[in-house]
Amino acid sequence: MRRSPHDEGHDKVLYGVLLDAVRGLRWRARRASRIAVPGIHPSRVRGTSAEFTEYRPYRQGDDLRRIDWKLFARSDRAYVRISEERAVTPTYVVLDASASMAFPDGSGSKWLLAQQLAVALIAVAHSGGDPTGVMVAGNPRATIQPRTRRGVVAEVIRTLHDVSVSGSSAVAPSILAAARSSARIAIVSDFLGDLDETLRVARELIASGRDVYALHVIASEEIDPPIAVSVVTDPESADIRRSLAGETRSGYQRAFEDWREATAARWLASGAAYRVIVAGKEPVSHSVRRIVRDELSASQAG
Amino acid sequence: MSFLAPGFLVAAVAAACGVVALHFIVTRRPRSVAFPTARFVPDVPIAARSRSMQLSDLLLLAVRVLTILLGGAALARPVFPPYRERTVRVIAADVSGSAASVAEVRDSVRTLFRAGDAVVVFDTAARPVGSPDSVVAGLGATSSGSLSAGLVAALRAGSSVRDGADSIELVVVSPISRGERDRATNVIRAEWPGRARLVRVTEAPTVSSSPPPAFDFLSVSRPAFSVTRTRIDTVGAVVAQGNVIVAPFERRWRFTADSLRRARVIARWVDGEPAAIEWDSAATCARSIAVPMDSTGDMLLRPNVIRFRAALAAPCQHVESVQDPTLEKMMAGAGSLARAAQFPPASDIDSPLARWLAGIAIALAIAEMVLRRTRDSGSER
Repeated sequence: MRRSPHDEGHDKVLYGVLLDAVRGLRWRARRASRIAVPGIHPSRVRGTSAEFTEYRPYRQGDDLRRIDWKLFARSDRAYVRISEERAVTPTYVVLDASASMAFPDGSGSKWLLAQQLAVALIAVAHSGGDPTGVMVAGNPRATIQPRTRRGVVAEVIRTLHDVSVSGSSAVAPSILAAARSSARIAIVSDFLGDLDETLRVARELIASGRDVYALHVIASEEIDPPIAVSVVTDPESADIRRSLAGETRSGYQRAFEDWREATAARWLASGAAYRVIVAGKEPVSHSVRRIVRDELSASQAG
Repeated sequence: MSFLAPGFLVAAVAAACGVVALHFIVTRRPRSVAFPTARFVPDVPIAARSRSMQLSDLLLLAVRVLTILLGGAALARPVFPPYRERTVRVIAADVSGSAASVAEVRDSVRTLFRAGDAVVVFDTAARPVGSPDSVVAGLGATSSGSLSAGLVAALRAGSSVRDGADSIELVVVSPISRGERDRATNVIRAEWPGRARLVRVTEAPTVSSSPPPAFDFLSVSRPAFSVTRTRIDTVGAVVAQGNVIVAPFERRWRFTADSLRRARVIARWVDGEPAAIEWDSAATCARSIAVPMDSTGDMLLRPNVIRFRAALAAPCQHVESVQDPTLEKMMAGAGSLARAAQFPPASDIDSPLARWLAGIAIALAIAEMVLRRTRDSGSER
């Protein structure tokens, strides 16, 4: 699915409203960052900022300026002030642009929702000073490295606008590529492709200390297919042609629900932040707030 | 109700039957829809489902059949035949110069005309008229008429009145003179499938080039072909071609019935008795004037007397004998009246119902498109 240039005006209005709705949000990192670049997220690095954390006995090699001289005068022992540092979290949003994302046709497609989610999350992360970038699975040309400069959101919008949604590209390789230059990866997909491989890669990244967000995009028509649909074909596999009527319909709904539950359980077990976003069920800004705010409380609890 | 082109209706019925048959025979192949989660649908063989007849399908079928039938009916041009008389007349009135008086022709047509009859007038050309009052002289009234033109117009008129009668009578109101016949007259007359009724009117006189005869008003001797009256009387006036002399004339002679048989009256006394006659001779004509008038005197200077004398001294008017018995026999024909069915239907009969049917058919075609799209969009949802 490739959108025409005539949609650009519509995009400006659409994204303008969306970006207004998510302005002011902060997307806190779920884990302390290892990066030394100052930012808003908790850092594993202890430094000399104003936020005091603890004292540590002076060791040879410590900077003499860090010794708390008042404490030394009282206790006759040399202690060094340790404070918590703040760092940036480079963020990558990886989008699945396989043919299954073009369902259903029209403005309510999963791909359009994925674009809006990506733009909104990048805007939120960018407003927090984090380097942000986007990567479309299977489309190296549609990749923007994480940057903090102005205009990156508009660049992302333009890049995603020109993406053709087709084929059956794997997501896992793109996640691996994204992980090389980011500490937080948001995967926007329907997970109907290489789910097992994606989960495996995600587990490795989580184990290596990265934040992984699994944003599962589902069309409402997939949950409750229209009555008139009788024969269905998998857009990514022409061999799959099934009759969706009568008993098979209820069988499909049960199987799909089971799969969704199993997928959610696997993602949660991997340690990723898993969210289900049903197209058209709620405004995109609400979905973004749900993604961001939940993690804020989680980080505070953690 | 009858149809001018029933073949279209038959074709429409056949097409409608085909549509009904196709509606029940042809089954719609279920359209395959791209569905990303198709893999979760149980893999059972796709069985052919018998499509249950839905109300929208029946409505669509009815609209389609009605569209075809109404379209066919519109093309078939239905007409309601008028009340059928037993016999109608096609009156061909001759208003050419061959007829002495168009008024006489008009009076004859008025007498013959009944409601539903057709009237055509002809001189050198022919045209239909709506009523006897429209029988007036045209541009060709100065020359001899054309019976062929009148017959052709009568044939067309026969087609226009065929639906209103069982038989059609051709009435030709004309002097039927020889000059009105041409080479095509016989052939065209043969096209009329029945006998005709001839109503002869007075033939227009022709002006003779023969010099006026000599005569004398001072009739002391008995005028030719007259006899002396047994009782001489007086009369107050005499008229010749509209010129009146009012004077106490003394009538001494009268024309006998035998003398009037071959003669034409050119002057009459005020009580209607012939005062002067003329008759044809071999090379010229002769006149006999029984008006006693002095050749001298003041009365001869009066303008009306001068005009009266000029009228009597005018060249002779005599009708040449142009009657053709064979022409009359040919024109009258023989046998019975023409049957209406023998006339081809007129091709320019208007069918107002056809326009309405076509309009309804177009509206139904649009409704069919809307219904079809509504049903298709409903099935996609």
